[in-house]
Amino acid sequence: MSDERTPDSPSGDDDHGGTAVRREGPLFGVLAEFDTPGELIDAARKVRAAGYTEFDCYSPFPVHGIDEAMGIRRTILPVIIFLGGFAGTVGGLVLQWWCNAYNWPWNISGKPAWSIPANVPIGFETTILLAVFTSFFGMWIANKLPQVWHPFFRAERFNHITDDAFLIGIEVRDRRFDGEATPKLLADAGAISVERVHFDPSPAVRVMPKWITAFIVASTAFALIPFAVAAKARTSHSTEPHIHIFPDMDFQPKYKSDQAMDLFGDGRENRGEIAGTVARGSLDADDLFFRGIEHAPDGDSWTTKFPARLTINDQLMKRGKNRFEIYCTPCHGYDGRGMGAVPTRVAAGGGAWQARNLVDAGNPVVIHMPNGQLFNTISNGYNTMMGYAAQIPHADRWAIVLYVRALQRSQNAGLDDVPADHRSGMQMPEAPQ
Amino acid sequence: MSVLQKSLHPDEKYKAGKLGQGLSRIGLGIAVVFFAISILVVVFSDPETARNAGHVDHATGEPAKWARFLYDYVIGWSYIFSICVGVFWLVLLHHLVRGRWATAVRRIAEAMATALPVVFAAGLVFVIPLVAGYDNLYFWAHPDAALSPTLAHKLGWLSPGFFAVRYVFYAVVFSAMAAYFARKSRQQDESGDPKISETLRVASGPAMIVYSLVTCFAAFDILMSMAPKWYSTIYGVNFWGSACVGGFSALGLLVLGIQRTGRLTHSVTPEHYHDIGKWMFAFTFFWAYTAFSQFMLQWYGNMPEETVWYKYRLFGDWQWVSIAMLVGFWAFPFVFLMSRWTKRIVPSLVFFAVWQLVFHWLDLYWNVMPSYDWTLEVHDKARVSAGPLAGSIAYHHVGFSPIDITVWIALIGVLLFGIGRNLRGNLIPVKDPTLGLSLAHENL
Repeated sequence: MSDERTPDSPSGDDDHGGTAVRREGPLFGVLAEFDTPGELIDAARKVRAAGYTEFDCYSPFPVHGIDEAMGIRRTILPVIIFLGGFAGTVGGLVLQWWCNAYNWPWNISGKPAWSIPANVPIGFETTILLAVFTSFFGMWIANKLPQVWHPFFRAERFNHITDDAFLIGIEVRDRRFDGEATPKLLADAGAISVERVHFDPSPAVRVMPKWITAFIVASTAFALIPFAVAAKARTSHSTEPHIHIFPDMDFQPKYKSDQAMDLFGDGRENRGEIAGTVARGSLDADDLFFRGIEHAPDGDSWTTKFPARLTINDQLMKRGKNRFEIYCTPCHGYDGRGMGAVPTRVAAGGGAWQARNLVDAGNPVVIHMPNGQLFNTISNGYNTMMGYAAQIPHADRWAIVLYVRALQRSQNAGLDDVPADHRSGMQMPEAPQ
Repeated sequence: MSVLQKSLHPDEKYKAGKLGQGLSRIGLGIAVVFFAISILVVVFSDPETARNAGHVDHATGEPAKWARFLYDYVIGWSYIFSICVGVFWLVLLHHLVRGRWATAVRRIAEAMATALPVVFAAGLVFVIPLVAGYDNLYFWAHPDAALSPTLAHKLGWLSPGFFAVRYVFYAVVFSAMAAYFARKSRQQDESGDPKISETLRVASGPAMIVYSLVTCFAAFDILMSMAPKWYSTIYGVNFWGSACVGGFSALGLLVLGIQRTGRLTHSVTPEHYHDIGKWMFAFTFFWAYTAFSQFMLQWYGNMPEETVWYKYRLFGDWQWVSIAMLVGFWAFPFVFLMSRWTKRIVPSLVFFAVWQLVFHWLDLYWNVMPSYDWTLEVHDKARVSAGPLAGSIAYHHVGFSPIDITVWIALIGVLLFGIGRNLRGNLIPVKDPTLGLSLAHENL
């Protein structure tokens, strides 16, 4: 703190006391110091009782009971924060409703476009966000911040406000302020010193420096540029490609499938298989295994056997069950009767679609189908059923055929299928519907 | 003395005197009367209701009529256990962070936490039958449990013998910790040695870790294993949140009750009730937060083995209980406890403490009781006993029984008995170095 800023006499009268006295600005208020927080509270009570309203207490730490002594009402900030948080909840939910259910509803696996539980986390976050914003900025506004300079800063004792000073400042603008009575009131209230504090004589000190104003204006204008660019982009058309700010590895000197290329005569980048060659492991000349077709002198037919390269055993059956339950049960069901999860869901929605009953003894089309035709149906599909050739390897398709055969047996099993020594005590259930 | 410190008021009555004995007698009376009522209700009840719920002695085929009583007992026991767990957390936290405000009520919290040995002794009522082979309480103890592929590999952990070993472990660890903190605190009443506060502060760190783990695992073992196929890793945390709501509510009521006898009238002020209310508010929200976290992941994940637990609670009769929980245990107290005044005006705080204590019980009831239905409907509505959460939600065989309430009240009596035994000597840690700060405590 330089000396020039300190008024050198408590009276602060202008043009007195010789050449060393500098001019002072108008009187701002009086500042009184007290020894302890307790005395500060007592003095605040007296100042308030005398009818003053434009005064404040300054202390290094929050003093319990000072609010009540000064007659400060409880802040309404909590109410504002509550309203901010509530606005956040409602705003967050409305935002999600508008985006997901109203403006751009999108069917994702048949899930509802609007469902409260899914929207709670976002609603929670926006609640917190707006509550925190209102508390942070509300606190600034309620405290009249930011306030970078205050006339009391000119008092030397005010420098101790973060250390050991307990001060009361009464401002001139208070209607009850009196040049004589007010300092006396403070002195009577137990002040260890009372000081008059003036504004700085130079008005330039009291206004914000021009460069700060210029900086705020310039940075605000600068911050608007992205919004302006976005606004322009939304309302105009352009034939230029997007500006690719981060190229990453998006543009590489290489060819992708089916691109044009000058190097070869046909102008294509793709090189097909060379005639008369087969890639290693890709020979599929065995029609029985790869297509389920059996050649005979009187014509080709679907095979009724299993290819010789498969060993029919328990392991293959288990593999077939495993694959069947992955690929087939969604529609055909675990029992093969055609009521899997998808038809069940269709029925729940009021529809009546059912997959083919693979084990139906009453209409035994599938039961009598040759193995090869079953294999072919799995490979290439039938009606609305798509082919699974791309998803299921040949051997697995044969395993599924094997398992379907087992299902057809088990779903139509009778007492005769039970070994004789296990039959006693068994009853035949009613025929399955 | 500065304004930040106050000494104990010269007229303060801080000796327990006959208070503890009186409370113990009241508690014992409540326990005896309500257990007698409950037992009579069970003895004269229609045993077929147990069969309808799928509880049948697998050896004799007779309905297991005591199953409902034991389910209620586990709920009531968890209730008093959770209250002790909740207040014990305050004791630990207070030491851990060098808390100040709670010193004035800490002795009472210690007295509540040191009721844990009595609580654990009371729990033997369901642990001993379990070890002796009773299989209609926990389904994992039933011979049929081994038939379920999802359950079979859990049966190493969920076996009556190991369960009992863990129960004893929890009992010993919790009782010893609570007793240690209470004993050291009383030693300070005699010696006034400030080093004791330091010792407890050092001990509270590891104790907090052990406390958290034991609370979590106790919740997994005793409550979550009621539906043994279902699992949720946040379950223990959720239980703890509910426990702290109950603990702080009970602490507030007990302190107020003690003040009504003319004791501690100068030391405990609305400032302390305000802080207890803040914790009630915080944990009300914490419970809702963890409960929703548990729900949303399972709801969104939509895995059958997880959603089955909620399927039982969100449809049929239980959906009304779930809605009551949402509104009563969270929304209503959350909105009203938010305000400063609802926590500082003592009758209002009492209202919410009682309210939350009732809903804390409902929370445990809601967690456990749906598992009582063990039936699975097969052909022609014939029912077989297949364990919890097996059946269709269209049929409920739980219903409401008067013993749901009477067993709960009887166990509250057990808790009061346990607390009363510990309310002796000074009701306030008279020589604690932070007592002056606590007496002068003010919420800005």
